[in-house]
Amino acid sequence: MPYLGGEETVRELRRALSNPNVQSDQLRYRNTILKVIRAMSQGVDMSGLFSEMVKACATVDVVQKKLVYVFLCSYAALNPELSLLVINTLRKDCQDPNPMVRSLALRNMTNLRLPSLVEYVEQPLAAGLRDRAACVRRVAVLGWAKLHNLQASSEIDAAVVNELYSLLRDPDPVVMVNCLRALEEILKDEGGVAINKPITHHLLNRLKECDIWGQCQVLRVLQRYRPQSEDELFDILSLLDASLVSPHPPIMAATLSLFLSLCSGQPAVSLAALERVRGPLLAACGSGSREMRFTALCHIQLLLRSIPGLMGAHYKRFFCGYAEPAYIKQRKMQVLVELVNDENVAMLLDELKGYCTDVNAETAQAAITAIGRIGRSYSDRCLEILTGLLGLKQDHITSAVVQTMRDLVWVCPQCSDTVCFALEGCEETLQDSQGRQALLWLLGVYGERVSSAPYTLEVFIDGVRSEASLGVKMELLTATMRLFLCRPAETQDMLGRLLHYCIEEETDMCVRDQALLYYRLLHCGIEETRKVLQGRRSDPSLGVLIGRPAEPVSQWARSFNTLEPLRQGSIETESVSRGSPEHTMFDPKPNADLSNTLDCSRIEKVHSECVRCPTIPRCSPQSLQAAMQLVNIQTLAFTPPQTLPWRVYLYTHTCLDDAPHSTLILGELLYTGEEPQKAEVHKGSADGGVGAEGIEDDM
Amino acid sequence: MIGGLFIYNHKGEVLISRVYRDDIGRNAVDAFRVNVIHARQQVRSPVTNIARTSFFHVKRSNIWLAAATKQNVNAAMVFEFLYKMCDVMTAYFGKISEENVKNNFVLIYELLDEILDFGYPQNSETGALKTFITQQGIKSQHHSKEEQSQITSQVTGQIGWRREGIKYRRNELFLDVLESVNLLMSPQGQVLSAHVSGRVVMKSYLSGMPECKFGMNDKIVIDKQGKGGGSEDAAKSGKQSIAIDDCTFHQCVRLSKFDSERSISFIPPDGEYELMRYRTTKDIILPFRVIPLVREVGRTKLEVKVVIKSNFKSSLLAQKIEVRVPTPLNTSGVQLICMKGKAKYKASENAIVWKIKRMAGMKESQISAEIELLPTNDKKKWARPPISMNFEVPFAPSGLKVRYLKVFEPKLNYSDHDVIKWVRYIGRSGIYETRC
Repeated sequence: MPYLGGEETVRELRRALSNPNVQSDQLRYRNTILKVIRAMSQGVDMSGLFSEMVKACATVDVVQKKLVYVFLCSYAALNPELSLLVINTLRKDCQDPNPMVRSLALRNMTNLRLPSLVEYVEQPLAAGLRDRAACVRRVAVLGWAKLHNLQASSEIDAAVVNELYSLLRDPDPVVMVNCLRALEEILKDEGGVAINKPITHHLLNRLKECDIWGQCQVLRVLQRYRPQSEDELFDILSLLDASLVSPHPPIMAATLSLFLSLCSGQPAVSLAALERVRGPLLAACGSGSREMRFTALCHIQLLLRSIPGLMGAHYKRFFCGYAEPAYIKQRKMQVLVELVNDENVAMLLDELKGYCTDVNAETAQAAITAIGRIGRSYSDRCLEILTGLLGLKQDHITSAVVQTMRDLVWVCPQCSDTVCFALEGCEETLQDSQGRQALLWLLGVYGERVSSAPYTLEVFIDGVRSEASLGVKMELLTATMRLFLCRPAETQDMLGRLLHYCIEEETDMCVRDQALLYYRLLHCGIEETRKVLQGRRSDPSLGVLIGRPAEPVSQWARSFNTLEPLRQGSIETESVSRGSPEHTMFDPKPNADLSNTLDCSRIEKVHSECVRCPTIPRCSPQSLQAAMQLVNIQTLAFTPPQTLPWRVYLYTHTCLDDAPHSTLILGELLYTGEEPQKAEVHKGSADGGVGAEGIEDDM
Repeated sequence: MIGGLFIYNHKGEVLISRVYRDDIGRNAVDAFRVNVIHARQQVRSPVTNIARTSFFHVKRSNIWLAAATKQNVNAAMVFEFLYKMCDVMTAYFGKISEENVKNNFVLIYELLDEILDFGYPQNSETGALKTFITQQGIKSQHHSKEEQSQITSQVTGQIGWRREGIKYRRNELFLDVLESVNLLMSPQGQVLSAHVSGRVVMKSYLSGMPECKFGMNDKIVIDKQGKGGGSEDAAKSGKQSIAIDDCTFHQCVRLSKFDSERSISFIPPDGEYELMRYRTTKDIILPFRVIPLVREVGRTKLEVKVVIKSNFKSSLLAQKIEVRVPTPLNTSGVQLICMKGKAKYKASENAIVWKIKRMAGMKESQISAEIELLPTNDKKKWARPPISMNFEVPFAPSGLKVRYLKVFEPKLNYSDHDVIKWVRYIGRSGIYETRC
């Protein structure tokens, strides 16, 4: 922040600081220093006063000391030489009879962050570890971590590490936790502090003494522990049971996270733990502070991936309050969609309908999208609501409704009649490009059933000159072409005009190329055009993919109680804005956690091998799919059942606990229909660093 | 662990900035301001990612508190820490406002120094902190021998929240049961969600190291005792017991004892503190029922009638009752008739505010309003925000009752009877909304 008159202030303060009259008057001296700090925190560069402040440091006044240290720690990096002067005072303070002064000196000594001072700091730090006051030991322990951070290359003395280990048994719980923290940082390269049986049991026994922060830290470190026997595991679990239902959300989450990592081999136990945290999690969702509510909601979404039925009976807890911030409302709606079932669907839809008229346009759109999602299983009820919303004639609502209808129709072609009927007249209210694109797509695909389709398109074509959005123009071209295929007589003239405009006058190359493509396509004959434009129809069998299978807990257990669940949703909400359904609809969600680590450059090897399999007895695709999901092979997409050759795209990925990168394997299953059956598996394996492995699929 | 803590005012000016770890650069302060405080749109999430740094923020009145970190931390913990930070600051200088932060910035720097070290939370109990913090200009420069020993005993001793050698001439105890009742009701009068979040706040002025025992009508305890005493007793007390969904205690409460016998025993800190916090969702006494009636008469007129019914003992008086009836944006004029209290149409808030100073239980009152609307081209339908209500009642809507609070001090010669105890119940409205 630029601060006018900064130099003037510095000069004035320097004069005051070096004035002997001021220096002799304790109160005035302190007040002058106060002014320096105030100016500093406002962003004025005060580094010029460093030497004056160093002098002010030699005082018996603790308040003044503290103030000066704040200053020195901020500017020490700019004045390494002068900082050497401070060290003497600090070292003297380390001998002070008052433990508070000792801890203050020690803390600031390490906060100076100057590699050149390390040699002077080591000795007082070592002494601090043996100090009789716990508050000094607390500071000293963390001091070693800071020192290590300062010069990560140099090894910290093994004796110190040993001493830190022994301080894990310190009577003060904060010293103990600080030791854990320091060792974690110092021994980072070796994988952190060693967690063996005695240490684990010691930490568990003292867990109750620690404050919230300490407990979180201990629980987190313990995640690395592997119990040696089942009995030990269950002893630990029953010891931790109380913290699992702790009313403090951070502790509850940390404990659950520990449970999941301890029970990674025993899914039944983890499921029981998840059931047990339902109460505390729901309580956190209703907590007074919105940030905590948000965090809890994000974590609930994670749990629902494995146990969709976990919160079923408590759906009312996820109803939105009027004054809640938009980000909470949107999360709650995402949760509500997951909770829908035959009994509550009416109530839920009623509630969601109420949110559609929310003042916040984004929330309203999210509500409409949510209704659309529910529509995949309860299409009639949802379409009724959506059609009703069109009657409000508000542009953002209409736009969201049309987009939702487009997505819905792609999955549930049986709704198309209702949708076509509802479309009439909504082009007047549509303002934004997303909504108009959706409308055009619908008109193109279902043009034969919407009587007014050509007239609507004509309005668009007449206005194409003033159209700003690229997407709308592209969609308009495709829609007009499709409509031409089914209603040539009404459309021929306007298609001609549109193509002429796009080829002759349009400046955007994308649109022009698209138009040229269609123009040339038409030269190839109507049959050829039909093949290209109507090749991709929505496929009712896609519905199989909608019901997401319950994921194993291990899929997300590692990201539980970190930042990840909070981030994931925000990515999801952004990807909600979309193009035509055939391009974007079906990214199966399980993929989401991989997509951000995957990077084309890392595909190291592509195996393209062909595995022929023996004849498989006839089985339905559904049962085949279910069988494959059991062994963690997921379906990405497949062609409609009767077509030949029939293809399925599959993927699977490793989720090893310790591997820094996971491996993703994509595969294609091809059925050519000849006897005997043939299956071909192409594998592309993408990973980072581990090296591609050609894992044989026994298909 | 937290890399840095920043406090901004509503304009985005930095009031306090403290960096704990090297991985947070100086530009992080500006990054948050530019991307979140100055961003045009609404806040999209309490966690923001900017250039691989995560910023957690909470807002108190118009002050932003942000914690920055580069690590993949435990989100719930960082938020909990920020709340704690707010609590500590409030305990020191009252409301967190720009004025107060500016006036106390030295104190805040001191606090930040003590609470966090190298980004790890250290000591966050207000009581224990007080010995470490040199309150600006008030304390003398030299700590007396006595104080020094206190610090040592504080940090080594088991009881971090109370110092030894406290003496009062009059041993007094104030117990406040403060509850806020939240309600969401459908227009048909169906309760969509209701919960009470309550706090037991205690102010203790007791000498020595007293041992206290607190008892309330918790269902689990009463049932247990009922079993021992006989079925008749259980049936009698069963009605008045309440089921607590979850509760949190001040660190002084011995949790092991609570877990095993569900008794709340503790050595209290000196002065004011929050003994426990709890939440109930069952059998809540809803102090008021709001019955809305909205009729649209044509395009330019709206008739609203709201009836409120008080639903508690007629000997009790509710206070500070305020009913807020939202009106459409295009309201041109409002005619109001109310039986009781004062009602006013506040154009700036788009609401009719109806205030009643006092109202006894089992009474009913109503207001009717005729709202004239300006004809608009805007086709937007009015969203009909819910009718909200504020009030204060002298009982606990959850039904919680304090059964006893016993004080034992074996070393000093005062007994439970010598302590003067005050108990007070206040039930306030939280978010108390009825849809219309």
